[in-house]
Amino acid sequence: MTSVASPEPAAGRREVRPGGWLAWLGATDHKRIGLLTLGTSLVLLFLMGVLALLMRSQLAQPDEHVFDPHTYNQLFTIHGSGMIYLVLTPFAIGLGVYLVPLQIGAPAIALPRTTLLAYWLYAVGAVVMLSGFATTGGAHASGWFSYPPLADSEYEPGAGSDLWIAGVVMSAVGMILMGWAVLWTALRKRPDGMTMLRMPVFTWSMVATCLMVVGAFPSLLAAMALLAVGRGDPSVFASNVWNIGYQHLFWFYGHPVVYVMFFPYLGAVSEVLAVFSGRRFFGYKGTVLSLLAFAGLSMSVWGHHMFTTGQAADDYYSLMSIVLLIPAGVEYFGMLGTILSGRLRLRTPMLFALAFIPQFLIGGLTGIMVGTPVVDYHVTDSYFVVAHLHYVLFAGSAFGLFAAVYFWFPKATGMMLDERLGKLHFWLAVAGANLTFLPMFGLGYLGMPRRVSTYSPFDGFGRLNLLASIGAGILALSMAVFAVNIIGTLNRRALHGSEHQAPDDPWEGHTLEWATSSPPPSLNFTPEHPLPPIGSFAPLLDLREQAGPAVPGQAEGPA
Amino acid sequence: MTHRQVFGQVFTVESAIAGAVFVAVLGLLLYSVVRRRAAAGATPSQRAELPGPEKFYVGVLIAVAAFLVAWTAWQNHRETHEHAAGAPVVVDVTAYQWCWAFTYPGDGGGSPSAPPPTTPPTAPQSPCLAGHYPTLVVPTGRTVRVRITSADVIHSLWVPELRYKMDAFPHHVNTFTLTVDRQGRWIGRCAEFCGERHYAMHFWFKAVSPRQYAAWAHSHSGTGQAGASA
Amino acid sequence: MRDHAAYWVVAGWGAWNALLLAVLGIYGENGLVFWLWGGVVALLEVAALAVLASARRGSEEQTAYQAPVAGTAGALPAAVAVGLVAFGFAYGMWLLAVAVPLFGVAAALRSRPVRADRED
Repeated sequence: MTSVASPEPAAGRREVRPGGWLAWLGATDHKRIGLLTLGTSLVLLFLMGVLALLMRSQLAQPDEHVFDPHTYNQLFTIHGSGMIYLVLTPFAIGLGVYLVPLQIGAPAIALPRTTLLAYWLYAVGAVVMLSGFATTGGAHASGWFSYPPLADSEYEPGAGSDLWIAGVVMSAVGMILMGWAVLWTALRKRPDGMTMLRMPVFTWSMVATCLMVVGAFPSLLAAMALLAVGRGDPSVFASNVWNIGYQHLFWFYGHPVVYVMFFPYLGAVSEVLAVFSGRRFFGYKGTVLSLLAFAGLSMSVWGHHMFTTGQAADDYYSLMSIVLLIPAGVEYFGMLGTILSGRLRLRTPMLFALAFIPQFLIGGLTGIMVGTPVVDYHVTDSYFVVAHLHYVLFAGSAFGLFAAVYFWFPKATGMMLDERLGKLHFWLAVAGANLTFLPMFGLGYLGMPRRVSTYSPFDGFGRLNLLASIGAGILALSMAVFAVNIIGTLNRRALHGSEHQAPDDPWEGHTLEWATSSPPPSLNFTPEHPLPPIGSFAPLLDLREQAGPAVPGQAEGPA
Repeated sequence: MTHRQVFGQVFTVESAIAGAVFVAVLGLLLYSVVRRRAAAGATPSQRAELPGPEKFYVGVLIAVAAFLVAWTAWQNHRETHEHAAGAPVVVDVTAYQWCWAFTYPGDGGGSPSAPPPTTPPTAPQSPCLAGHYPTLVVPTGRTVRVRITSADVIHSLWVPELRYKMDAFPHHVNTFTLTVDRQGRWIGRCAEFCGERHYAMHFWFKAVSPRQYAAWAHSHSGTGQAGASA
Repeated sequence: MRDHAAYWVVAGWGAWNALLLAVLGIYGENGLVFWLWGGVVALLEVAALAVLASARRGSEEQTAYQAPVAGTAGALPAAVAVGLVAFGFAYGMWLLAVAVPLFGVAAALRSRPVRADRED
């Protein structure tokens, strides 16, 4: 049994909560910091998406001159850098900041001031990185991995590159601090009854994520330090040791980060699948173990990005990359087992979660292919890899992101997003994502390198590129629908004040965040919304089952 | 075309496995959406896990992984260690912003002691700029040893037809061998982003009969020039 | 084992990394990599010990909380000051004249909660 963990305010001291937008800037409530992070990264998602649309307009047909090569090189560099450093990573960790204290039944996050500082370092870091566009030489243009010597001051002398390095460092430090706070919360701030094996699947995905953040992100700081030193003294990169050394330092971070940009979304998808299947997530223990195993293996495979350098232990990285299919397979066992034995309700969050399953799989299976050197020697650095990475990160993780937004938006804001717009967003996204990225497998196989600002009419790449660009247009439409839904809903709330439209638990949720109000009070659980008893990783489901057979469709929020 | 053959086998097998897995998962998903819908009257199971089938399933995953690891490692070594008969023909490649220089330091007979040149030819303009892509000429049926370096930033030599690429690092020489079994001329590309004209840094890869090659080598004796075409 | 599950998760994950690193030793790799990954393993074990120390000091599952500080005004100025240092690389180090005082402001504001205007 649990005791109520929500604290009674000390006698004579009333619970105060700062008001006004100024207070948001200094907030130590993890929900506010979480929303700041999620909101900032969502805005940047749209901005980076616009960059991609510009790129696709340049590549739709051969020999176009919409953008000159130098501009195009800035576009793809900042698109990649922005999406990875400033969007998917912060959104993932921000989800943890918002949800982990709620899911474990804690009133607050550990280290709240550090968490807030982390947010501001990230946000200001984003401004610093993007301000490169305003410099005379333009933004950084050496690609998001920024290999020296190309990224050195000799070949890329502009201030935009210095600002890029500073922006990366600031946001990475922010993510390390934020990740550590989330990890410490899950490990040390659980109330009575919330044992490690009663933490929800999403929280476990955050634990694995934050272990990778703590283990791998410092290596990025080392790589950036090396790059900064080299920009001060280019003779550093006159020795191959540091050129190949940079790649090791960079990819030691660069592989785990893609799992940081995958696990929280996988966790969100798992929560959604369980709730909308009306049963607890299937195969919990196997899933927890495989998350930890997967995360460890992810630290060992970075060299598969370096097969063609001729200077990496190919066999080892290939071995470990293929072994990844074992924990990945266990994850799929859990997801499929949940829906195969469930009672499915096909609301918007569930649609995105279901599409994640086959779409991420395409990315994962092609990942095994590029993880074998024989195949990689042909397809690396081509559009085949661009297709692979966008399947895992967009058709996979971003779909998990959309599922998370539709699922938890009512909890965070007290408003339900529009269901019809949600379904329209979904179908446009499925069509757009697959039309954009599937042809790219063909392009890479046929010999189109990545990071090219144009191609010749004689290459034979025109038709597939046109398809991809049309797909990008459809994706842009889907994102516009998404924006209209969010902005429209928030507008309604602003116009109609605090008139709540979402109940505490619009979806018949399983985990503790659904036991409190929407939005939750500042200390999450109060005498009005006390912590329920915690007997498993699905405490609300337990309560419902104990109360007797559920009436189907009960407690659904308005459509 | 060892690289191409090995690639073909591995890519086909992996695609087949991937295709089968995808179809299976998609099938299970569609079954769930159709037959397990609330509207279809399904009732959710309360079974938390199925340890028996899960363990069996993990066993299958391990077996597939073990097969792929062993088989692809063997294929990788086949690809990178096979040699045709006879002494290798050596070609030195220097990549630079934004074209290629190919030199031929002499036929076979052990590895020439001189490393590939690291300074590009002092032509007023790189040939690539004018659309005259340089040609890398090799004889069919013989091992060709390519030694590749860069004069400035990292580039990568990719011949899609061969299904192979190798990076060009400055202050470092990468070496690989290839064997071409039929004559032809195929496009080659730079496959590591190297700056403004990365998109235009192409070359031709041309395989000719050993007799034609001998004639060509004789007329271009010693160091060949960038832009040489047979 | 169950008593300090959190410690075992971190320590165990560090050990798993150590095992994978040891296997790499069999294959051989650039020396830099062993220092890098070895350092990470050490860092993880230190983190695990921090978790253990914290668990020993307080109960494993916390029931008593301090109500957190209502807000902190120092974080934003601190981040902006760091940003100004970054801009110094592009626009000149005179910006430090603004950044350094701003760090001071941030430090002074660090423990002061944001003014409370209304209550929940």
